[in-house]
Amino acid sequence: MILPVIILLIWEYYAVKFNNPALLPRVEMVFDRLIHPFDNLLNTGNFVRHIFVSATRVIFGFLLAAIVGIPLGLLAGRYLLFHRLFNPIIEILRPLCPIAWIPFALAIFKTYTVTNVFGVRYSTSIFEHIQLGMLFVIFYGGFFPIFINTIHGVSSVKNSYVESALVLGATHGQLFRKIILPSSLPAILTGLKVGLGVSWMVIIAAEMMPGSDAGIGYLIMFSYELAEMDILMASMIIIGVVGTILSGIVKVAADQTSFWQAKER
Amino acid sequence: MAFLNVDQINKHFINERKEEINALSDLTFLCHDGEFLCLLGPTGCGKTTILRIISGLEQPDNGQVLVNEQGVHGINQESTLVFQQYSLFPWRNVIDNIAFGLEMRNINRTKRYARAQEFIDLVGLRGFEKAFPYELSGGMQQRAAIARALAYDKRLILMDEPFGALDERTRHRLQEELLNIWRQQRKTIIFVTHNIDEAIFLADRILIMHDRPGYVENELKIVLPRPRDRKSPDFIKLHIGIREVLEDMLNSG
Ligand SMILES: Nc1ncnc2c1ncn2[C@@H]1O[C@H](COP(=O)(O)OP(=O)(O)OP(=O)(O)O)[C@@H](O)[C@H]1O
Ligand SMILES: [Mg+2]
Repeated sequence: MILPVIILLIWEYYAVKFNNPALLPRVEMVFDRLIHPFDNLLNTGNFVRHIFVSATRVIFGFLLAAIVGIPLGLLAGRYLLFHRLFNPIIEILRPLCPIAWIPFALAIFKTYTVTNVFGVRYSTSIFEHIQLGMLFVIFYGGFFPIFINTIHGVSSVKNSYVESALVLGATHGQLFRKIILPSSLPAILTGLKVGLGVSWMVIIAAEMMPGSDAGIGYLIMFSYELAEMDILMASMIIIGVVGTILSGIVKVAADQTSFWQAKER
Repeated sequence: MAFLNVDQINKHFINERKEEINALSDLTFLCHDGEFLCLLGPTGCGKTTILRIISGLEQPDNGQVLVNEQGVHGINQESTLVFQQYSLFPWRNVIDNIAFGLEMRNINRTKRYARAQEFIDLVGLRGFEKAFPYELSGGMQQRAAIARALAYDKRLILMDEPFGALDERTRHRLQEELLNIWRQQRKTIIFVTHNIDEAIFLADRILIMHDRPGYVENELKIVLPRPRDRKSPDFIKLHIGIREVLEDMLNSG
């Protein structure tokens, strides 16, 4: 607890010294923003709404990444054929930072949203804010950690577990469900944790791009343009907190299913 | 006719250095229904290899394994194997480990738990049903592994030095428990060991294996009445005799 206090003190010291809220607001100004999450900000809506929009985008993109990444990872980890099939593409794409895809995604998907494309015409639902381009980059960012960790998990299942199951009468399908899956679950959850973290980082960047109309990243960019540093800094703190909560949720799930791995002797 | 017929099995391995290892050469033996057979031999003589071939985890170069005169293809459905290293599933608790074989047969939960409980009691693990493997001592894990194999309820149980890593007292107690189970459940057991004392204590018949290549060097019926007394003159005489056979074999090899 000591380090955060020191940082706050240094921050406050310089804020008072500069005496320019457009450059560095005082701690209590930012704090005041944070304790009023339902106040309308610069006519864009309140913090809660922006968080909700960002989180929804991330959750949809991330779920998509998990739905595609886990099965493909299971296949590629188990069958050499699939591994050979996927590997070259993956090796090329992997070093390509998801953020590098943002302009491309914008060019291809324009600012189409899930609502436009799937024709949920008269709704003012949350889907209006899920731009396909953003969905794509979140998916892309989440996919690789999930896919690669799943492969790793499956291919490092101990042979002795597989053979034990075989001499106890397991069929191919049972082997997959009862041995391969539970035994690679810790690695899969690691992939989900990392993937969710990447997705959350990518969405903030994506929301700063043109065509964005809501979300925490958008709020940061917008308050920067209006030199509203207190909102900007409050948004940054929120990003950190939400990111921590997201990875905390996955960590709880991971601890539930991986307890045996840490304790294995 | 014999229950199990191991017929002229040959098996070689190529190791990392591309050297050929002749693990088994024309290995042949029979095993009768209800028999307790011990395979005794020095380390590296191919004991694990032959059990893996009988259970169908490994294919022989040539020769065949017959159960009731039927050739075994793929996994041997008449047998199960207790591995040399305990290999309980670490993400399953004791009862779910022991019920695994029944679960694979799609027997419902209530039935398989009832069945598994019998074997938990049999191996003395009552009270540890919900414990995970990492919470058990080595001896308890090995008992759980044995219970898992027994609960799967196959006529032939292959055991690969199951008591190798245990201290002497635990080993002796488990040997007695195993004999009780064998008698009660009317199983056929092929038990691998390199411990002479263990083989004499357990077996109806001992096959002494030659090493590299592995084949049956010598066969010995043990007619001592059970429970066997390790301190009896007959036991000691057998022990010395087998020791001499093994030493001669190693010296001449
Ligand atoms: N997969 C393998 N690759 C290469 N060599 C192998 C392989 N499996 C077994 N061997 C060799 O085959 C021989 C027999 O091995 P096996 O494991 O059957 O011996 P063992 O009698 O069970 O020995 P121990 O009593 O030490 O368990 C050994 O020389 C071993 O090095
Ligand atoms: Mg062995």
